[in-house]
Amino acid sequence: MDLLPTPEQDEIVATVRSQLVTDFDLHALAASDGADVVVDAALWQRCAELGWFGLGLAEELGGVGYTLAEETLLFAELGAHVTPGPFLAAVLGARVAAIGGADDVAAGILSGTTTVALGEVESDGDGGTQLRISDHGGADLVLVVGENRVELVDATALDLRHEASIDLLVPLATADTPTVAPVAALDGDAAADVILRGDVLVAAQLAGIAVGTAAQSTEYAQDRQQFGVAIGSFQAVKHRCADMAVRAEVATSQVRLAALALLDGRDDAAFQCEAARVVATDSAITNAQVNVLNHGGIGFTWEHTAHRYVTRAQVLSRTLGDRREHLRRLLEQPAPT
Amino acid sequence: MNLDLTDEEQSFREEARTWLREHLPTEPRPPEGQEMREFDLAWQRTLFDGGWAGINWPAEFGGRGLSDIQQMIWYEEFAKADPPFTLANSCTFVGNMHGGPTLIVNGTDEQKAEYLPGILRGEQVWCQGFSEPGAGSDLASLSTKAVIDGDELVVTGQKTWTSYAHVADLQELLVRTDPDAPKHKGITWVVCDMSSPGIDIRPIPTMSHVTDFCEVFYDEVRIPLTNVVGGLNNGWRTAMSTLSFERGTGFMADQVELAATVERLIDEAKRRVGPDGRRRAIEDDELARRLATARAEVNALRAMTIAGISRNARTGMPGPEGSMIRLFHGELHQRVYQLALEIIGPDALRLTPVDGEGVWTGPYLQSFAYTIGGGTTDIQRNIVGERVLGLPRA
Repeated sequence: MDLLPTPEQDEIVATVRSQLVTDFDLHALAASDGADVVVDAALWQRCAELGWFGLGLAEELGGVGYTLAEETLLFAELGAHVTPGPFLAAVLGARVAAIGGADDVAAGILSGTTTVALGEVESDGDGGTQLRISDHGGADLVLVVGENRVELVDATALDLRHEASIDLLVPLATADTPTVAPVAALDGDAAADVILRGDVLVAAQLAGIAVGTAAQSTEYAQDRQQFGVAIGSFQAVKHRCADMAVRAEVATSQVRLAALALLDGRDDAAFQCEAARVVATDSAITNAQVNVLNHGGIGFTWEHTAHRYVTRAQVLSRTLGDRREHLRRLLEQPAPT
Repeated sequence: MNLDLTDEEQSFREEARTWLREHLPTEPRPPEGQEMREFDLAWQRTLFDGGWAGINWPAEFGGRGLSDIQQMIWYEEFAKADPPFTLANSCTFVGNMHGGPTLIVNGTDEQKAEYLPGILRGEQVWCQGFSEPGAGSDLASLSTKAVIDGDELVVTGQKTWTSYAHVADLQELLVRTDPDAPKHKGITWVVCDMSSPGIDIRPIPTMSHVTDFCEVFYDEVRIPLTNVVGGLNNGWRTAMSTLSFERGTGFMADQVELAATVERLIDEAKRRVGPDGRRRAIEDDELARRLATARAEVNALRAMTIAGISRNARTGMPGPEGSMIRLFHGELHQRVYQLALEIIGPDALRLTPVDGEGVWTGPYLQSFAYTIGGGTTDIQRNIVGERVLGLPRA
C-alpha cells in the first residue's frame, strides 16, 4: 500500500510538467480568450504524440498501456497548470470508441486528428433538456455523457449555439439533444466504468487546482514584502497558506486512493470516486478563491492567472455532475467494508 | 502507487479480526479512578499476551517490528469490532505513543530495558508533563526548574493539562536545567517517578466531565540524572521527536475510529425523525449533504494517513507533514460531533459519558480537546506554514 508515485511515475509527471510550461503558457494563451478554439491543431497533435490521450488505455486498444494511475497524475498536472483543451473528452472518447469497436474513430482521436468536445444534458430552463457542450470549436465529435450511457455523436449534425463562458479558455455552447445515431456508444457497466474514470480525472484536475493555487500563494507569501517583511511571516497569511496546503493534500490523497480503487476493481470503487469528487471540489474552489485574496489587488487583475483557477474550478466542479449530485450518490453508496 | 496488501498484511488483518472477536472486552470502561486504570492496563496486558502490543515497535524492544500499514490495519479492525471504548482515551496512550517511541529513538540501552517492557506489558501508566500555566503554545518558555545536586536533579515548579497524572507511575517531564541559555537550549527531557516525595497532584474539572485532567506541583522533587533522556539541555530536540510521533501516527486509531463514527451517525440519521418531525433525518437535504461531506472527508483522512505512512516509509521518520493530518483530523472530528448533535435532535440536551454505545453528547464535549491538545490548531498551522511550506517566522 503506497500513495506516492513510483520513480517511473515521477518521470512521467516531470515530462508533462515541462511540456505544459513550454506549450501552455497562460499569458500566451490569453490571445485565445473567448475564442471557439483555444488549443490549435499543431499543439493538439504534439499532445497526441506524447501519448496523453491514450496514456491509460491498453496497448491492444491502441493506447500507451499505462493505467488510470498515470492518467490521474497527468490530469492533476493539467489542473495545476490550468491547462485548456478538451483533454477529458479525448481520453474518455478514445476509450468509448476503442471499447465500442469503432477502431478508426479511436485511432483518429488518439492521433490528435479527430477532436472531441464534451456534451452533458442539462435543463433548458423551459421544462425540456438541451446539450451543454464545452470545447465545441472545431470539434468533429461530441462525447455525450448521460446516465448509464456514453456515446460519440457527429458534431456537424448538431446546431451549435455559442454562449459566453465564465472561463474564457473553455468555450461553451448549447445544442438540441441529438437525435442522430452515434458513431460509438457504451451502456451499462461499460458506460458506468467510463463515467467513474471521468469522475476520477475531473477530481484529479480539481486536486491539481488545489495544489497549484497553494503553491502560487506560498510563493507570493515568500516574495511579497509589506511593512518591511515577507507577508508570509504574518500569521493571518501563513495560516491561510497552511490551510491551502492541507486542502491540497486532502484532495490529492483521496483522488489517488479513488484511482487505485477503480483500477483494482474494488467493491468500494464508486464510493471512493464520489468521495474524491466531493473533497477535490471543495479543496479546489476554496483554494482558488483564497488565492485571489492572498494576491491582493494584483490577484484581481486579468493579467494575473489567479482568476483562471477560480473559473476553471467552477467549470470542473460542474463537469460530469455537480457537487450536490456527487454528494447524493456518495450517500447512496454502501459503506466500505 | 498501489493499494495492494502483501500476503503477510492480508493474513495479519484476518488474524487481528479473529483475535479481536475473541478477546475484546464487552463490559463498559469504568469512567474514572483506579478501576479505569485497571481496565486500561488489563487490556494492554491482554494485547501483550496475545502478541499485539507494540505492533510497529522494533522487535528488539519487545514489539512486533511490523509496518505502519499493519498498525493501521490493526486500528481498522479494532474500530470494526465495535469496541466499548476508544484507544485515544486510554491511560496507556502516553506510554505507547509518546514515552515509548521517544525512548526507542533517544534512550540509552539501560533506559530502554528499564521502561519499555512495562509499557508493553501493561504494568505502568505514563503521563505527560510538558505544558505549564505560563508555557502553553510557547512551550519552550517553560520555567519548571531542575538544579543538579550530586547525581540528582532537584525539580521545583508546576505542570498542567496532565491527563491521568493521578493514576500514573511515570512522567515524561520537561524541565529547565540551564536558565541562562537561550530558551530552546536549556531544557531537559527526564523520566519522573510519580511516587517521588514532593509531588502534589490536583484534579482539574473539565467541560466534558472527564476526570483525568490534572495539574502537578513539584517541591524539590529528586530525580536521578540517569533518568535524563537524549542528553542534558537537549530536551527540546527530544520533545520535538516525541511530538512528531503524536502528530504522525499517534492519532491513527482516532482517525480510523472517526470513519466508523460517521457510519454510525448515518445509521442514526436513517433511524431518527428529522427536523421537520415527519421524515427521517437522512431525508433532510441539509443534514444529508453534511453527512455525505463528512463521509467524503473521513475517507480522505484515511487516504491522507496512508499517504503519510508512505512518506514516513521513505524518510524513516515522521516529518512535519504529520501536522497537516493532525490539523485536518482535529477540526473534522469536531465537525462530525457538531453534526451529530443536530441529527439527534432533542437528545442533544441529554448528557452521556464519553465512552460507550450510542453516546453523542459526551464525545461532543470532549471533541473540543481535539483542536487544543498536542499543540493547538494555530500551532499546527504555524508548523505547516514554516516547516512544510518554508514561510518565514514572525
